[in-house]
Amino acid sequence: MANLNIDSVKDRTFDAIVIGSGMSGGWAAKEFTDKGLKTLVLERGRDVKHLKDYPTTNLYPWEFPHHGVLPDDVQKANPIVNRCYAFGEDAAHFFVKDAEHPYVQEKPFDWIRGYQTGGKSLLWARQTQRWSDFDFEGPARDGFAVDWPIRYADIAPWYSYVEKFAGISGNRDGIPELPDGEFLPAFPLNAVETFFSNHVKKTYKNRHVISARCAHLSKPNQIHLDQGRGQCQERTLCQRGCPFGGYFSANSSTIPWALKSGHCTLRPYSVVESIIYDEKKGKATGVRVIDANTKEAIEYYADVIFVNAAALNSNLILLNSTSGRFPNGLGNDSGTLGKYVAFHNYSAHINAEYDGAKEWTTDGRNPAGGGYMPRFRNVYKQETNFLRGYAAGFSAYRWQQNSSDGIGQDLKNNLVKKDLSGWHVGSHMMGETIPKETNYVALDKSLKDPFGIPQLRISVDYDDNDEKMKKDYVEQMTEMFTSAGFTNIQASTDHRAPGLDIHEMGGVRMGNDPKTSMLDKWHRLHACKNVYVTDGASMTSTSCQNPSLTYMAFTARAVDHAIGEMKKGNV
Amino acid sequence: MNRRVAIRNMALILGSAAVLPSCLNDKGKPVVQLKHLKIDADQETLVNNLTETILPKTDTPGAGELGINLFVFKMIDDCYDKEHQQDFIAGLGDFAAEAKKQLGKSFNECTAKERTTFVSAIDKNSKDEKYKDNTKLIAFYRMVKDQTVFGYTTSKYFMTKQIVYELVPGRYNAYFPVKKHAAV
Repeated sequence: MANLNIDSVKDRTFDAIVIGSGMSGGWAAKEFTDKGLKTLVLERGRDVKHLKDYPTTNLYPWEFPHHGVLPDDVQKANPIVNRCYAFGEDAAHFFVKDAEHPYVQEKPFDWIRGYQTGGKSLLWARQTQRWSDFDFEGPARDGFAVDWPIRYADIAPWYSYVEKFAGISGNRDGIPELPDGEFLPAFPLNAVETFFSNHVKKTYKNRHVISARCAHLSKPNQIHLDQGRGQCQERTLCQRGCPFGGYFSANSSTIPWALKSGHCTLRPYSVVESIIYDEKKGKATGVRVIDANTKEAIEYYADVIFVNAAALNSNLILLNSTSGRFPNGLGNDSGTLGKYVAFHNYSAHINAEYDGAKEWTTDGRNPAGGGYMPRFRNVYKQETNFLRGYAAGFSAYRWQQNSSDGIGQDLKNNLVKKDLSGWHVGSHMMGETIPKETNYVALDKSLKDPFGIPQLRISVDYDDNDEKMKKDYVEQMTEMFTSAGFTNIQASTDHRAPGLDIHEMGGVRMGNDPKTSMLDKWHRLHACKNVYVTDGASMTSTSCQNPSLTYMAFTARAVDHAIGEMKKGNV
Repeated sequence: MNRRVAIRNMALILGSAAVLPSCLNDKGKPVVQLKHLKIDADQETLVNNLTETILPKTDTPGAGELGINLFVFKMIDDCYDKEHQQDFIAGLGDFAAEAKKQLGKSFNECTAKERTTFVSAIDKNSKDEKYKDNTKLIAFYRMVKDQTVFGYTTSKYFMTKQIVYELVPGRYNAYFPVKKHAAV
């Protein structure tokens, strides 16, 4: 019996444990196993294998029972996730249903989650922009949050490293506030996107409209073919999982790569309850897992632990990892754990028409989605009555003006009309929000989830800075649209709850000072050096770029550091 | 939802379409299996006839042949809320009564030509936002027409024979001459 137990402990002991198999966890798994370390990847949801588990990927619209529309009872049962644009009949199986993982909304918050191998990397919008020092120096310059303990020079080589493997399409635009990367060919701007880009460049200093940079293999290199991935075929049905591996997901890329090494164990249905802290050793020794099927508790052990559970769940795990040394959550000497949560403000849009470029249209579909305007407000100096700024999407499109007028043969004729509409243009804002102590997550004192783990209380809201920024976006875009000669300009704002941007960040922020932050410049807990957090939870500020690329680079850099520490015998 | 289920559901739709005409008017029970809507065989036939009037067989297939009538029932039964479903039932009754009033016989007893004349007038009214009479009738008609058009334009027949839907375009041409577009 004693021997059995020893064997069992041995079987449950690894060099590294990675909590989460998504955007950042997949990278941790790849980096550890590339270096030959025995790695356990814990995934709370089911396993989703590339190709094999994409049941809708090759379905035609008529092959769906409701041709793509979700039944009313599914929509009614899921008011939160139903607000997500990608929650349709073709991809609903990749989203967490509202009842599956309850949480408490002290203020309205749409928490959109994907519990499966690959997590939300299956479902993301695939936009990938680097940060620059205009972003990393933001908090220090503008006096909010705490100073980032790193600068662009620290992360630049790691951006290059992950970009080469993931495959990022884009142009080298030479814009200091949006550094160039290792790019595959860009998806080009169309006639009216180019027109607007030229207009903005001519009319405004330091404003740019560029081809959106995205994680699509426009022209794969050998490293992508080695992953079993191929060229993007412009389906733009990415949320179903891609049969070509045309866009980057953990499922198509990092996870199978890690598994192929022979050093990776992937354990699905493994909900991490807490991280185990050994007071004598002064470090973490493993994690406590609840098997999602049997509800049985199991412990796994490792020298180093990476927390990549997605921003808010990484907060939840640390908050629930209490001990004599850390009564308020693992590594929480500063009292900042769960606080300074922020997100991206997507709540303004603008549409218009353009009476020109009539000789051009487009053919096929653009996986990049069109153009991207990097932040132009308060970049080189503070110039408005609000802090920071916003990026903006910009796209132009025409459509076939078939109509459903009439009945009979008239109707049939109207439905196949090929007359093209004029050009329509649209933009949406992606605003930086300021992390505040009052925007926080915490554990509920009594409510539990189906695994007996405390439910997360979320208390996150907009503030006056967001309102001013929103107003400025509408004013600036209206002015740019007007001067470009666009007509019928319609700006709209909505009152979406935070969370629907699916860019929630912070709560376990990085910083130089252990008194005011959770993580050091290597993403380690200041107070527990063998636990690293490299997902959105680690963000000190949000800037306005889509964050996934930065999480990937952070993770690869942090694993490199962890392996160095292991070699030196420091962990 | 896996591919097999999707195909099976599709086969059900298409399969039952072929069987329909011979089993109608049997003990007043509808042939189509519905979870929420409560209708009798006459009402089912009315909706079938209405979809065929909106989208008749000409030199190309009509609603019945393509199983669009069954798709309409499936959508209204599964994808509309209770309030809309109540309007559907009430509007269906109003539609039947109005047909009888105007034509002197039931909609189902009318010739295709009589149905077309009657539905054409309703179709015109349904687009008039100020149309105050028979709001439930119009609501019912719009639901049936919307789903007939949606089912038709997303049907295999339409997406392969009338237009070419591409699951895998394999290209993005950002500058494409309109002249070439018109020629496709």
